[in-house]
Amino acid sequence: MRLLIENLSKEYRGNVRALSEVHLALGPGVLGLLGPNGAGKSTLMRILGTITQPSSGRVLWNDSEIARHPDPLRAVLGYLPQDFGVYPNLNALEFLEYLAAVKGIPARAARNRIRELLELVNLTDAIKRPLGGYSGGMRQRIGIAQALLNDPQLLIVDEPTAGLDPEERVRFRNLLSELSGERIVILSTHIVSDVEAVATSIAILVHGQLIAHDLPEGLLASVSGKVWGVVVPSAELPALRQKHLVSSTAHRSDGVHARVVADAAPEGAARPLDPSLEDAYLSALTRQRSTANGALA
Amino acid sequence: MTRATAVSAIARADFLERVRRYSFLFTLGFALYLGYLATAGKLMLRLGHMRGIFNSAWTGGLLSLVASSFISLAGFYFVKNTIQRDRDTRVGQIIAATPISRFTYVLGKMISNLTVLGLMVVILAASGIAMQLVRGEDRHIEFWKLFAPFLLLALPAMAVVAAVAVFFEAIPLLRGGFGNIVYFFVWGMGISLPFAADTHTLDLSGMFVVADSARNAAQLSLQNGGFSLTLDLGYFDYPLATFRWEGITWTSEIVISRILWLGFSLMLVILSALLFDRFDPSRGGLLPKAQEPIATAVPERNSASAQTTAATLTPLVAEQTNSRFLAILTAEMRLMLKGQKWWWYVVAVGLVIASAVLPSAEARGIVLAFAWIWPVLLWSSMGIRENREQTYQLIFSAPHPIARQLPAVWMAGVLVALLAGCGFGLRLLLGGNVRGLMAWLIGALFIPTFALSLGVWSGTGKPFEILYTLLWYIGPLHAIPRFDFMGSAPATAATRCPQIYLLLTCVLAAAALLGRKRQLQF
Repeated sequence: MRLLIENLSKEYRGNVRALSEVHLALGPGVLGLLGPNGAGKSTLMRILGTITQPSSGRVLWNDSEIARHPDPLRAVLGYLPQDFGVYPNLNALEFLEYLAAVKGIPARAARNRIRELLELVNLTDAIKRPLGGYSGGMRQRIGIAQALLNDPQLLIVDEPTAGLDPEERVRFRNLLSELSGERIVILSTHIVSDVEAVATSIAILVHGQLIAHDLPEGLLASVSGKVWGVVVPSAELPALRQKHLVSSTAHRSDGVHARVVADAAPEGAARPLDPSLEDAYLSALTRQRSTANGALA
Repeated sequence: MTRATAVSAIARADFLERVRRYSFLFTLGFALYLGYLATAGKLMLRLGHMRGIFNSAWTGGLLSLVASSFISLAGFYFVKNTIQRDRDTRVGQIIAATPISRFTYVLGKMISNLTVLGLMVVILAASGIAMQLVRGEDRHIEFWKLFAPFLLLALPAMAVVAAVAVFFEAIPLLRGGFGNIVYFFVWGMGISLPFAADTHTLDLSGMFVVADSARNAAQLSLQNGGFSLTLDLGYFDYPLATFRWEGITWTSEIVISRILWLGFSLMLVILSALLFDRFDPSRGGLLPKAQEPIATAVPERNSASAQTTAATLTPLVAEQTNSRFLAILTAEMRLMLKGQKWWWYVVAVGLVIASAVLPSAEARGIVLAFAWIWPVLLWSSMGIRENREQTYQLIFSAPHPIARQLPAVWMAGVLVALLAGCGFGLRLLLGGNVRGLMAWLIGALFIPTFALSLGVWSGTGKPFEILYTLLWYIGPLHAIPRFDFMGSAPATAATRCPQIYLLLTCVLAAAALLGRKRQLQF
């Protein structure tokens, strides 16, 4: 089981470049795809989901190019798009039965699978309600269920936790972890904590370019010894932000407790902290922006 | 911000959004095409066996009537999407949260509609100069005589159309495909009623104004000066005598009657504002219940279970990509039929029975025509549902989307046609009328294929709703064999028309396949 993305680029009308020369090789495990809004994550997901064709480059699923031969991948693909709809007059059972048939899952297997999935996404009580009356979170859970219908070898989930309450988010993370054994899962999000919980490797996409692809430990190592805790009065926080990358702040009685990512300790009483993935991600973004600005200058 | 500023801001934004879409080129293209038809002599204004020479007055009169007759039909469909766009883009929810009044909003939208329609009229007016020069019967351009009919006849008619469009959008029942079909009949009545009732009061198009004035100039009586605006379908094979007409004398009575139409359009705007739901889904009283969000949450498990529940999914074993055509077909039928009200089925069954038991073949044919217009909104969703409901990413990422899902959609449409027209077909079968049965069967194949093809290529059900209703009105309803794609008239089966429609069905099916393939390669 192998997914190879080679020099993948995508350009939309008006010379808008969404992806630029992306190269990735993936085996079983969960890839956390991080990036700010507009980084090209959803474009990459749509290409991998066989919905959009790349402008150049190619994607190989088990050595078969998906743009030319999409069906071998589609047969084993579970895809949860960022924006998707449902048929408002069908209920959950009818909708999943329909998609199971479209995916070619035998009737008996489909029935069992749908029952398990509805249980898993906690929708058994709403099974007979028309989907048009579902809340955003419930629709998202239906989306998750349909993505798992065919026991996919490649599971692509684009912003899957959007609209889920904290409890459902935890359930979904657990589910992804347990599913990841013998399949490739690509989790695209800008919520770092979701990736932190489940990813076995992490890729960072900025302005359509892949700026990092590493194990979580590797990314953390890149900011090891560079994360500091400082306490400053509220009034001095803007100045601190101007000088350094501040990854988080918390107001306390003695001032603002700030996490700072910097090569050297900031002035004052700074104490070293263990780096988090959020620190590593923000640091990578900042480095990329500095490089881009430098290139422009 | 004053109300006038708000109205102009809404109209401007809406107009810019429209003109920056590729579909706007169709709107302009249609106006240019009408201008070409008139210049090429395909659109003819006649008084009995006479016509005016092509001076500025006659050219202006002809083209302004073309605008108020034809643009009032097609233009409605071009502009009836202004409020819907705000719904689709969800900009409406942002607007609804602002202090803007419903009247201001609806008026802005109506003015945007009027600007688009007015632009089409301007294009037609400009083509009038070319028309007069090309015709060459009188090359002296008199601007007032040429353009006054556009200003005083066509534009008030366009204002009414612009207001009717927002009125239809304000009423949930008329907002969608049903409204598209209703408007066709409203338009037909609007054109024919003033003549049938011989009343100037309802003369929105200005036909009477031109006819009365021209008839006086030609010194024709009402009897031998029958007035008609005709599209040439190959029937203009005799020369018309000519006369000189110097144009309409714009009396205060005429001008006031046209201003009254502007007042009528303003009243429609006020009524639309009263009915407009301001993007509040709970006010859509006629919406199906499924559209309304559930107020109460579904009972959840306790939070402890969320942390500990294991993902216990049974792995699927092998043979997982069977073609399950029947299952998909059943689901597609369900998608087509679910959500219909009980009375829809009552009418459909009533039409089936009537088309089977009526003694006269002609009467059965008319009932078949109604039986096959009744499910028009089911067919118009073919090929577009995946985009409209945004499920295309789920369906197109499944294996073999063309081979598996598209034929099921088509077959569901055919089944609907067969079921809706089965009374007529059964009667042909029992009567041993094989040719009639074949013509009927071809009709049952043609309609959904036409719908699917137009749906896949246009991405919306509107073109099918409009073209199908038009074809239905010209052909089956008036039993004209050339357009009787249903084989509803007894005479049709004996002609070669069914074979032609079968060929057309094959072409449309191929177009649908190509269109879907194109969608997948996007």
